[in-house]
This record gives sequence, structure tokens and C-alpha cells, in this order.
Amino acid sequence: MSRLVEIAVSGELLARARAGEAAARQALYVALAPATHAFIRRLVGQRALAEDLFQDTMMIFYERLPQFRQEAPVGAWLRQIAVSRCLMYLRSPWKRARLCLEPVDCGVAAEVAALITPGYSGELIDLERALASLAPTARAIVWMYEVEGYSHQEIAHAFGRSVSFSKSQLARAHLRLRTWLQPQEHPPSCTLI
Amino acid sequence: MHPDLDPQRSGLARLLRELPESAAAPYGYREFEQRALARAHQEHGHAGGRRLAVAAVLFLAALAVLLRLNGTPHTAPHGLGAAEVRGAPGLDPEDAPAPSASTAERWLASLPSEPAMVRVGTRAAVMGLEDRIAQVDDLLTATGDAGSAPERLRALQQERSRLVGTLVQVRYAQTLANASP
Repeated sequence: MSRLVEIAVSGELLARARAGEAAARQALYVALAPATHAFIRRLVGQRALAEDLFQDTMMIFYERLPQFRQEAPVGAWLRQIAVSRCLMYLRSPWKRARLCLEPVDCGVAAEVAALITPGYSGELIDLERALASLAPTARAIVWMYEVEGYSHQEIAHAFGRSVSFSKSQLARAHLRLRTWLQPQEHPPSCTLI
Repeated sequence: MHPDLDPQRSGLARLLRELPESAAAPYGYREFEQRALARAHQEHGHAGGRRLAVAAVLFLAALAVLLRLNGTPHTAPHGLGAAEVRGAPGLDPEDAPAPSASTAERWLASLPSEPAMVRVGTRAAVMGLEDRIAQVDDLLTATGDAGSAPERLRALQQERSRLVGTLVQVRYAQTLANASP
């Protein structure tokens, strides 16, 4: 499946969707929804939460579609909406407190099991486990930087923090991921960093 | 993408990009529209509820003001409140009513005989402290490289020791809590 920013949508389809044509809106959904959901799932980790944020994101997308001026690919614009929804969630003090009160091994194994398909190699399964063991903020930063190509400045701006916060979070997350991926007798515990 | 000279790091980045993604949306367009409609209804309901709550609060506030204006100035609603009134400056202690002993006793009786112990996760505290230590480390490196004033370096080192001290206390408390039955 293509990454969200790489999905091409014709200007004509966009124009029809902007005009409110139901078939065009549905076609846009079919084209963009899988990558949007996958991206949100990567940022927040939990399936149920990802579904909620996905619904929010798509609702805002359709609501603001008439204002979209096609200065960037529609996928990039949608990704921006998704990032802002996810970070709003991650930054909310109420949600942070809730995450802290949840048990440390809060269904990590179940979340990882739900992600794994027959196409996974052993190394990728380990990586999924390692990613799931990271704190939500660290995981989001790793994904945004390494996969989505955000710069430290962009991440710092999105999180409302300093560039050094982004760098140190990324460095620590890398260390944690590498520790997980190194062969060892006893795998590390599921402590979040 | 970012230029990355660390081979271990770029290997990790490559692996991350190779992770397969689900090729399907969690639900179809029809379901999406139904959920959007349900959410719009819910928000409409919440807005109505909010208006009702605001009206109720305003009504109660008005009622409280009315009662306050009509009531005697020295009368406190509860025994414990009366104790505060008695101690208020400019008020003759003899004029103020004595706190109702039975109210105070009832309040005391309602308290749990032993304080409840609630265990909460310390992960947020530990994470926050570790983040701050990492930030101070970054600042220390940057300050050292720039050859800035030694006072700044000293202040940063002090801040770091303070943070590490706090982290030690939290981790110690964690260890004690884990060891206790």
C-alpha cells in the first residue's frame, strides 16, 4: 500500500467531491482511508483509539475539503490533519494521565498480534513488538522522522517543544529499539521509556 | 528522507519503512457516514446539555445570592463554617454561634478510620524526569562546545544533579512499593 503522501488523486475527482457529489466523496474515501488509518495507527498504537481519531480526521477532511486549494498533494494535506488530531490527543493532559494509569503491559501483545500478518518476517515481528513498547510520544516521533520524513524542526513545531526534545526522544527511542532487536537470552521487559 | 551516516540507524529506518501496512480501511464509506451522523447528533445533544448545565449553574448562583442577602450575616451553613465565622476579624466572638458539635462529630465519623492507600503509576514521573535530564544533557553538550560562561555550566550541572536526585527518590519509592505486599 502507498504512503499517504504518495497517493495520487485527480483534480477532477477532487472538484466533484468538493461540489458534494456523493460518488466522488466515496471514491476519495476508498483511495485515502486505508493509508490514513494505517498512519494514525502507527502514531497512536492502539486500534480502538486509532479508529476514533481516524473518524475525526476524515470528518474534518470532508468538512474542510471546499477550502483545499491543491497547493500540495491531497494526501499531504490529509496527513497534516491526521497529525494535528493525533498530537492533540497525545498532548492532552487528561489523555496523558489516563495513559499513565493504564498498566504498563496494557495489551501490547494483543495490539501487536492484531497487526501481524503472514507477510511478516521474524525481524519485522520483533520490530513491531519493540515499537509497541515505546511510549506514545517516542513512537510518534520515530515514525514521523524515520518513515514520514519530518525534520526535527517540524516535529518540534508540531509537538510545541524544542528541537532538542525531538532529538533526545529520537535518540533514546533508537537505543531502546536497538536493544530490543539485539539477540539476547532474556528479552527486555515491557517498560515504556 | 534524512541523510544518515550511522549504518545501524539507517538499517533501523529501512526496517521501519519495510513494515507492512493494513491494506484496508477499518470500515467502509457507508459506516463512516453513519458514524459521522451519530457523532453530529451526539455533539448536538452535548451542546443542549451544556446549555442546560449553564442555566442550572446560573439559577443556583442566583439562588445562593438571594439566600445570602436574606439570611443573617453571622449564620454559617455548617458547624465547621461557623468556626471560621467565629475566627473572622472584626467579629465579636461572643456573637458568633458555637460550631455544632454534632455536625463536627458526624463529619469526623464520616472519615475513613485509616487513610486509604492508592497506588498510581510512576511512569509519567520517571519519563518526565528522564526527558528533562536528557534535555539538560543536550544543553550541557551545547554549552560546553560553545565554550560559554562557566556559571551557566555550573548551573546546568546543579540542575542535572537535582533532577538525578529526584529520579533516584522516585525509583527508590518504586522499588519499595514493588517490594511491599
